[in-house]
Amino acid sequence: MSNDGDRKPFLSSPPRKRENFEAGDAKAPESLQWRIAVSSEKRRSPLLPRKKDKPKKDKRHSPNRVAFFRYAYYDPCFKYFTEQVLNAEYLPLPPPTRRTEEVGTQNSTDYVCTPFKHILGDFVDALELGANVVVQFCGPCRLGYYGELQESILREMGYDNFSMLNFSNGLDVNSAVGWTRECLRQVNPDINVPKAALKLIPLTHMVAHVDSAYDFYLANAGFEREPGAFDQAWAAYLDAMSAATDEKSIQEAHARGMERMRAIPLDKPENPIRIGIVGEMFTAIDPRSNLNLDKKLLAMGVEVHRMMNLTNRFVRYNEPNLRQSARDYISYDMGPTSTITIVAAKKYAADGFDGLVHAKSAGCTPEIDCEPVLMRIAEDYSIPILYLTYDAQTSDTGLDTRLEAFYDMLAMKKQKGTLR
Amino acid sequence: MAVLNDAAHVKVVGLPRALLYYRYSTLWETFFRSLGLQVVVSDPTDRAILQAGEEVSSDESCLASKVFMGAVANLIGRCDAVFIPSYASASPRVGFCTKYQSAPDMAANTFRDKNLPVISLLVEHLDNEREVEDAYVDLGKRLGFSTKEAKRAYKAARKAQKATDELWAKNQETALKDIKRLRHNTGDAPITILVVAHPYIGHDPFMADPVLDALKEAGAIVLFADETDKARAFKKSFEFTTTMPWVINRELIGSILSLQDKIDGIVLISAFPCGPDSMTDDAIMRCIEGTPILNLLIDAQNGTAGIQTRVESFMDILQFHKKGGYLHE
Repeated sequence: MSNDGDRKPFLSSPPRKRENFEAGDAKAPESLQWRIAVSSEKRRSPLLPRKKDKPKKDKRHSPNRVAFFRYAYYDPCFKYFTEQVLNAEYLPLPPPTRRTEEVGTQNSTDYVCTPFKHILGDFVDALELGANVVVQFCGPCRLGYYGELQESILREMGYDNFSMLNFSNGLDVNSAVGWTRECLRQVNPDINVPKAALKLIPLTHMVAHVDSAYDFYLANAGFEREPGAFDQAWAAYLDAMSAATDEKSIQEAHARGMERMRAIPLDKPENPIRIGIVGEMFTAIDPRSNLNLDKKLLAMGVEVHRMMNLTNRFVRYNEPNLRQSARDYISYDMGPTSTITIVAAKKYAADGFDGLVHAKSAGCTPEIDCEPVLMRIAEDYSIPILYLTYDAQTSDTGLDTRLEAFYDMLAMKKQKGTLR
Repeated sequence: MAVLNDAAHVKVVGLPRALLYYRYSTLWETFFRSLGLQVVVSDPTDRAILQAGEEVSSDESCLASKVFMGAVANLIGRCDAVFIPSYASASPRVGFCTKYQSAPDMAANTFRDKNLPVISLLVEHLDNEREVEDAYVDLGKRLGFSTKEAKRAYKAARKAQKATDELWAKNQETALKDIKRLRHNTGDAPITILVVAHPYIGHDPFMADPVLDALKEAGAIVLFADETDKARAFKKSFEFTTTMPWVINRELIGSILSLQDKIDGIVLISAFPCGPDSMTDDAIMRCIEGTPILNLLIDAQNGTAGIQTRVESFMDILQFHKKGGYLHE
């Protein structure tokens, strides 16, 4: 048998003795993880059942009950999408419980990223509350495979009476066509497609409004004169947005909500401590994933900024343009959220922010790969960065300690700077 | 500037022996040599290289990424520039781990003060043959060659890579035939194991040899899933998964499906904490039936004793299984 290159050919090589790398220290912990599976029972085909053809129109069928996973403050947007675009019933989820986290963690592999576990728990909650469609997004990292694997895990757990609107399906040809077909197949065959498509425009406005309102909240809620005023106003804003059904009511809800927030009296110092949060889609944004990072920072009296949100990542995302402003650091797109992470970090640093917080899920490859770049930005602008990695075991008190220490450091640095 | 744009002065190109090198070594070496450039490959992985990589990497990086950084560090002072391409995932089913996408910028930033220029190219759609060619030709031009020279070099490189891939696929088929004949003639054949691992794990002796040696010492014949005909394996993978985004994992799964009835056991080797494998291994463990699977997750601190015990007990299971012990049809 012929050989090529330095691979050993098949069958011929006798067991070789390895010399060098067993030597390491004998005390090294045995960290090998392993498992053996021997299965004989005929399992279901790994391919998930998918509805192939558009079922016949049937005006009498009851609408599907659609649930999303829990995600930051976007509930009104999910609701609008379900009711106005998909023309189905929206099932809002109550706050997660300890069981949500446990079920999600127990049924996922250990080292999959943390949002996968949270979302799996959310889907279990949703199905038990009577959802018959759950929705999963797609993305160019592990997120792209979330849906299929979660659906297969859920079915194996015994939840069999549901379908998943998985936006990872339908990408093969043209995503607009593919996704439309998915919505028709999985949720509602009777969607009037042109009408529904028009309703996506107000949806993008709603997303942009909610994000801009939350930006205002982040920048100012740390300085409210009357504790709780902003939280009340924000809850009212979201309620009004939830009730919005068209462009007009969206604009009204936004205008009124902003009016109320702007009217809140502030005690804001001339030059407050400003912190920019950077990181990936889930952990940087979602309070359940980052253990209320925003609230904790605001409670310390900090002006918080965060470029990462659905508006900047999807509605207005132009990756090559955005990357231009960080071209001293990066030549290529480094991952789904990397460009925003790096560009935002550089912008905050250049704008004279006091510190940055980088929040990511354990094992998030793209954000881990951003860290060498963030370190260079920190060097060049001498801005401190707090790196936070969240897994399902991350504790609240541990986070408090680190945030307080970080805040004290920034406050001290700022004071020194002012004195000089 | 993060990555070198004007690279006409580069005469010696460094190739880190890590990640995609194990998939495209022939392509890259032939390409640069055909252009008349000198190629330096980093030294084979050893503990020192891994340690050098660990020093400049985040603790949270995967083992393969740390080895990659060590391999890049190994090239400092030995070349005019290191070649680290960016392979991104714009084609939804033919994508890569984002590590391959971020590698050039990650290395350029990590080694910014080490005077280690990076030359690179961008492939977004691996399934678009034309785009891939243009990317390499464009790199050739930046290296100071004419379009014609660059095209010729790329064509030669692609041909050589294809020949290598075909050779390995053919070797595997021959081996399978040999085993079949042996089984037919003597009624028995050594236990055949399909090793399913990313090529930079399975073919890096530093990472895989503890497992491969243990298998061979126990008398097994080892086949590599990544050596199966890539195009056919990729196509086959759609019988297993519709939305899986990673081309290499797809090829591995396709190989399992194609060879499953010709082998006795599967050994999955993953580097800790590999992103794609964290999900793919789970799917394989739950959905491949009838063939015993050993799933090993290796990281830097492994003693090899642990591996040997696991492999031996797995081989015992296979022996027993072969005699009809565990599973009855």
